[in-house]
Amino acid sequence: MVNVSIKVNGEMRTASVPPETTLLRLLRDNFNLTGAKLGCDVGDCGACTVIVDGLPVNSCLMLANQVDGREVLTIEGLATTDKLHPLQKKFEEFGSLQCGFCGPGIIMSAKALLDENPAPTVMQIRDALGGNLCRCTGYAKMIEAIQAVANGSIEPVASKSA
Amino acid sequence: MEKKTVVTEKVPLQTLLEEDGILRSPALAPLVTFPLEVVVPEVRHQTPAVGQRATRPDSRLHGLGQTRYIDDMYFPGMLFARIKRAGIASAHIKSIDTSEAEAMPGVIAVITGRDVPCNSFGPSLKDQPVLADTRVFHAGDGVAAVAAISEQIATDALDKIKVEYEPLTPVLDPLESLKLETPGVHAPSANIYGSKVIKKGDVAKGFAESDYIFEGHFRTQMVEHVPLEPHATIAMWDANGRVSIYSTLGRITLGRADVARTLGIPMSRIRIIATIVGGNFGGKNEITTEPVLALLSKKTGRPVKEVFTRSEEFIASTTRHPLIMDYKTGVTKQGKILARQIRLVLDGGAYCSWSETTLGKACILSAGPYNIENLHAEAFVVYTNKTMTGAMRGFGAPQVCFAYESHMDDIATALGIDPLEIRLLNAFEEGSISPTGQMLQSVVVKESLLRAAERFGWNTDGKASTNGNAQGNTKSNGNAITAGKGNGVAKQLPAHEQATHGPAAHEPAVR
Repeated sequence: MVNVSIKVNGEMRTASVPPETTLLRLLRDNFNLTGAKLGCDVGDCGACTVIVDGLPVNSCLMLANQVDGREVLTIEGLATTDKLHPLQKKFEEFGSLQCGFCGPGIIMSAKALLDENPAPTVMQIRDALGGNLCRCTGYAKMIEAIQAVANGSIEPVASKSA
Repeated sequence: MEKKTVVTEKVPLQTLLEEDGILRSPALAPLVTFPLEVVVPEVRHQTPAVGQRATRPDSRLHGLGQTRYIDDMYFPGMLFARIKRAGIASAHIKSIDTSEAEAMPGVIAVITGRDVPCNSFGPSLKDQPVLADTRVFHAGDGVAAVAAISEQIATDALDKIKVEYEPLTPVLDPLESLKLETPGVHAPSANIYGSKVIKKGDVAKGFAESDYIFEGHFRTQMVEHVPLEPHATIAMWDANGRVSIYSTLGRITLGRADVARTLGIPMSRIRIIATIVGGNFGGKNEITTEPVLALLSKKTGRPVKEVFTRSEEFIASTTRHPLIMDYKTGVTKQGKILARQIRLVLDGGAYCSWSETTLGKACILSAGPYNIENLHAEAFVVYTNKTMTGAMRGFGAPQVCFAYESHMDDIATALGIDPLEIRLLNAFEEGSISPTGQMLQSVVVKESLLRAAERFGWNTDGKASTNGNAQGNTKSNGNAITAGKGNGVAKQLPAHEQATHGPAAHEPAVR
């Protein structure tokens, strides 16, 4: 067993877990933070994306022990008792999520992008979502929602495909 | 009587305290915050739906990460199950030894196909074992299942299960499988387990009157649905002999019937709770491991959860049928279709699943949305020792659409006719009669084509010019004209058509 102390959504947490435990398992099984999803377990789908020290990571590929002493932000840490995070609000308004399984990962990837680049272009948004898969709706409405948060105005996404 | 000596080891108090600390440490989950006040977005107040964004009532929970999919649920005392997959396409099972796995610390129960009261199921033909007991039909067949206190222990236990196989030569090519001399995948049943023939007019006469006859051969590949949420199930058997099953299943009523049959208990004792599903696309239309989980729960007396790994999704769930499509079309010099002959061979994989539905729809739609007086379409679905094929968006319609529209393009190119023109010349119009005798209403194929061509700038010389590469002499910007669609057209069967619309003459006698 290894002892892990991490700051999750602003709160210090500790756990003692088997050494093979991934960050995703730690969050889901030990901390009951089930927002990050297990989609492929090999870092392809991005459903498990969380932010570690400001960077978006596939939590299924990171061992819990590697996060010891670091700061982790999950989807549960975005909203407050007063209001939704702007990304969550726009994703809802724009109907960006259908089955919703990829949603937490996509929103975390978008959050990491906007923290670093508050006014990204459509191409930069596409690039930031490159590690996240969606099988239901496609990405246009997500990209529009992210633009709405960043710039307040939206370029149509469909004609930018060329 | 043998006398047993119990040796009690004295554990230092410090160790006990430490272990106590470890046990207690993750007891409390961190606070999850969400807005207490629910503000309904303005878009939902606006009454005219056209022009408004469509929102979903569940999307707030999705965005907050608070939607409870099955893997997000936990019940006290819950065990975790894993299924051992055969990993061999075709074999006799000589023996399964689970003793080593059962002896592992943390493993609570192991079951095999022999523990299943009725070891066969399927949405139409009951040809699929819950767990293969005597025969493996494809590499994704489950041969044993383990319930353990953690997913890791259950996974480790799979390696300790020893299965002895006697390998058989697998049938992998659907065209080979079609031949009568090929050994039956499910012998004594024939490999062709479904067929359909549609006859309209006289194709021989039609070909004789044609100026040109074109042939086209098309194949499509197997496609997995890849829902982001893998198949997941939690089963809880209770002391009243009832079982509650949380499942990602889309068709719960059908699922109840299937589970009842395999478990040998009445449907009234089965409760299936359909949760929010993380993508279905047709891949979650039938039960897979629900009976296994129910039996593990019965054996252990505890809730049991199982989530497919991504590789299990590919090898042990249904996929889209690969089709081999042969087209022969007789046309006039102007491009008017006089006769069309079609043969479709569907690779059904190891089990029937929704093959009959797929076969029917593929065959009915295979001629395309065109007026064809003389038509002969036949379709066969065959067993192979591959991952089973079943329902997936469109039930065979996308495959034939690819074939008939590619075929139309080939004909247009050979005749030097604009691809749009040849479609307008042949397309359905109001009152057209479909291949199965249905009179079509509200038909706007030609109008839609013309509108689409106008919108993306399709020129009469077969080039799209307004956006993309105007100078190019090929259709290089990726625009294409397609009259057919991956879906739709009702499967109506008028009484007078039934004689020519039944199964083919050489349908297998034994099923």
